[in-house]
Amino acid sequence: MFEIFTMKKLPKSRRNFFLSFIRCFCIIFCLSILAFRSNTSSAATIKIGEINPLSGGLAKNGIEIHQGIEVAVAEANEAGGIGGNQLELISRDDQSRPDVAISRAEELCSWQKVAALTGGYVDSLVGPIAAVAKKYRIPYVASASLQKELAQCKNPFFFRVSRLQDFVEPLCGILTQRFKPQHLAILHAATPGSSELARDLERCLKTHGLNVKLIEKFRPGTPNFTPLIAKMAGMNIDVIVSGGFTPDHILLVRQLKENRISPKAFIGPFGIAYESFIKTMGKDADYLYSTCAWNPGITEPGTEAASIAFIQRFVRMFKQQPNTTNMHGYTSARALIAAMQAVLHNGLPLTGDNIRMALTKLDLVLPMEHLAFDKTGDPLHYKHVVVQIQKEKLVVVYPSDRASGQPVYPMPPWDQR
Amino acid sequence: MWTTVLVSGISMGSFYILIALGFALIFGVTRYFNLAHGELVVLAGYVAYWLWNVYALSFVLTFPVAILVLFLICLGLKRLFARLTEPLELNSIVLSFGIAIVIQNSMLFLFSGNYRLIRIPSLNKSFHFHEVYMSYGQLTLLVLSLIVIFLLYILMYRTYLGKALRATIQNKEAAALAGINVTIMGTFAFCLGAVLIGLAGPLYGCTHYLYPSTGHEVTLLAITITIFAGVGRLSGIILAGWILGLAEAFTVILCGSSWREMVTALLLLILLAFKPYGILGNRES
Repeated sequence: MFEIFTMKKLPKSRRNFFLSFIRCFCIIFCLSILAFRSNTSSAATIKIGEINPLSGGLAKNGIEIHQGIEVAVAEANEAGGIGGNQLELISRDDQSRPDVAISRAEELCSWQKVAALTGGYVDSLVGPIAAVAKKYRIPYVASASLQKELAQCKNPFFFRVSRLQDFVEPLCGILTQRFKPQHLAILHAATPGSSELARDLERCLKTHGLNVKLIEKFRPGTPNFTPLIAKMAGMNIDVIVSGGFTPDHILLVRQLKENRISPKAFIGPFGIAYESFIKTMGKDADYLYSTCAWNPGITEPGTEAASIAFIQRFVRMFKQQPNTTNMHGYTSARALIAAMQAVLHNGLPLTGDNIRMALTKLDLVLPMEHLAFDKTGDPLHYKHVVVQIQKEKLVVVYPSDRASGQPVYPMPPWDQR
Repeated sequence: MWTTVLVSGISMGSFYILIALGFALIFGVTRYFNLAHGELVVLAGYVAYWLWNVYALSFVLTFPVAILVLFLICLGLKRLFARLTEPLELNSIVLSFGIAIVIQNSMLFLFSGNYRLIRIPSLNKSFHFHEVYMSYGQLTLLVLSLIVIFLLYILMYRTYLGKALRATIQNKEAAALAGINVTIMGTFAFCLGAVLIGLAGPLYGCTHYLYPSTGHEVTLLAITITIFAGVGRLSGIILAGWILGLAEAFTVILCGSSWREMVTALLLLILLAFKPYGILGNRES
């Protein structure tokens, strides 16, 4: 009777067939249970899709944006959700690769049926997600995107909380009004955002009568800047604007120190105004300039209480201080949540078109910015300030109406620190 | 300016050599194309960083620990690679690609996505030498690379073990017929590779920075230099490392930073067109 279970007397081929059948059955059974569970668990929730580089070269920034989004979702759910429905955040990792970003966006839009998308770091990943969002008519609020071209490609479902122009203006301002360097060098990484920044900054400086002596493009992750430093030393460069990212600044600043080259100012708009950078570089980070839209202690005037509430919640959730990238994630998710709230408040169904319309009319005061979008989906009031690291702390030095200290210019030479 | 560029090129080239030696040795002896080589270098750097940061261990003492850890990992890898069937090169690419992803994500989980730097103030200081500022870090790279190259040279060309290794690199079957245990030679290549990776890792964390996904750049560099040198050519690797280091440095000065990778790629293409067996290689090797 139990031969069928022990299978001792079955021929080998039949035994193999029987075992394969049982395996297939078990797999199908488990998958059905999982599918059923996922459907039932999401019955009373509103799904928000999030795509970020959680692994690969951009993992650090992707994780930071993801944390910011998680804070916004947790905050909304604690306040009772939207129209009585809890929010469900469905996160996907694009592995820092555009092709994976596309497949994740396709999955979220077609299979998971999310109401809207958010997240995204750098234009090479944001661009493909925006295209998929347009195809499915699902609004996408990108957390960190700069390239002008993206906003100009007539995608009514694309919105973002940052733009390049607001990096350029304060940089151009401090260089032309305060520093007025004789020999300025602009170094930029071979990425769309960084190249555009260099181009726009040079144009702005030229209109103010300031000539750029050297413009150099380099590959992000370049291991040796010493030859470039020697070239700049030969040209008596006194101010360096470097559009590289955190690892490029780590190497460039250290190699400047090793070669005892002390420019009057070193400005890195991306990747310097971070606690982690200051911690990594120690005292060598002192006197470097950067820009930021938000940081603990640097917030849009009038939003101090909201800023502190965000910091407290963030610290409670992640046991660390938030930074500007976290805030970009938070801001993009808050925009989506506010738009969805507005749709439900007006008694409309939560469709992509309705959320998009609500986003176009959004007027929200958040710690990073007073958020409203223009016709292309760009933020109207995104503002950066110029900061300088002084005694391992960030001090706002420009514009003067938001300054919390005076810039130390020229930076003291390496051997006099 | 030119002296600075020269010193910088040689120093960077020496580091390239240190990185590529382990890869070239393992590939030469075993024919395993280890795509996880860069991840192992970064992992060794993280081990050193962890010891230096958490236990305040002296930087010099992090080397033996990193070597020991890499030694154990490489022995484990050797056992995994040994299960592969022909074609070894292709199968090892697939296997090591998977291993690289596993190591990368493990590092992301263990050490987070923050950029890490082993900050040794004395190595960041510089001295003045013939109109050139050279940091003690650069000097350490140069001297350590030269010492390693010298010791490896002695091992490969002045000992019986080295002779057996070279024979295995040149022709595995003939070496086996001559009584050389090629399996043991493979294990020995992995052990030696582990020592070289264990040396390169902490230096990488000190002179560059550590980030879980930077390993593939290191692997690419090791592959480029190995192709440049020709398989099994120790002197070729030295020459290739210095040529690449100097070419990159002078390209930045003469043509601009954006041409750096282009010139390296062009050099490699020209070499492959005219000397397909590497800069010092020949058809027999």
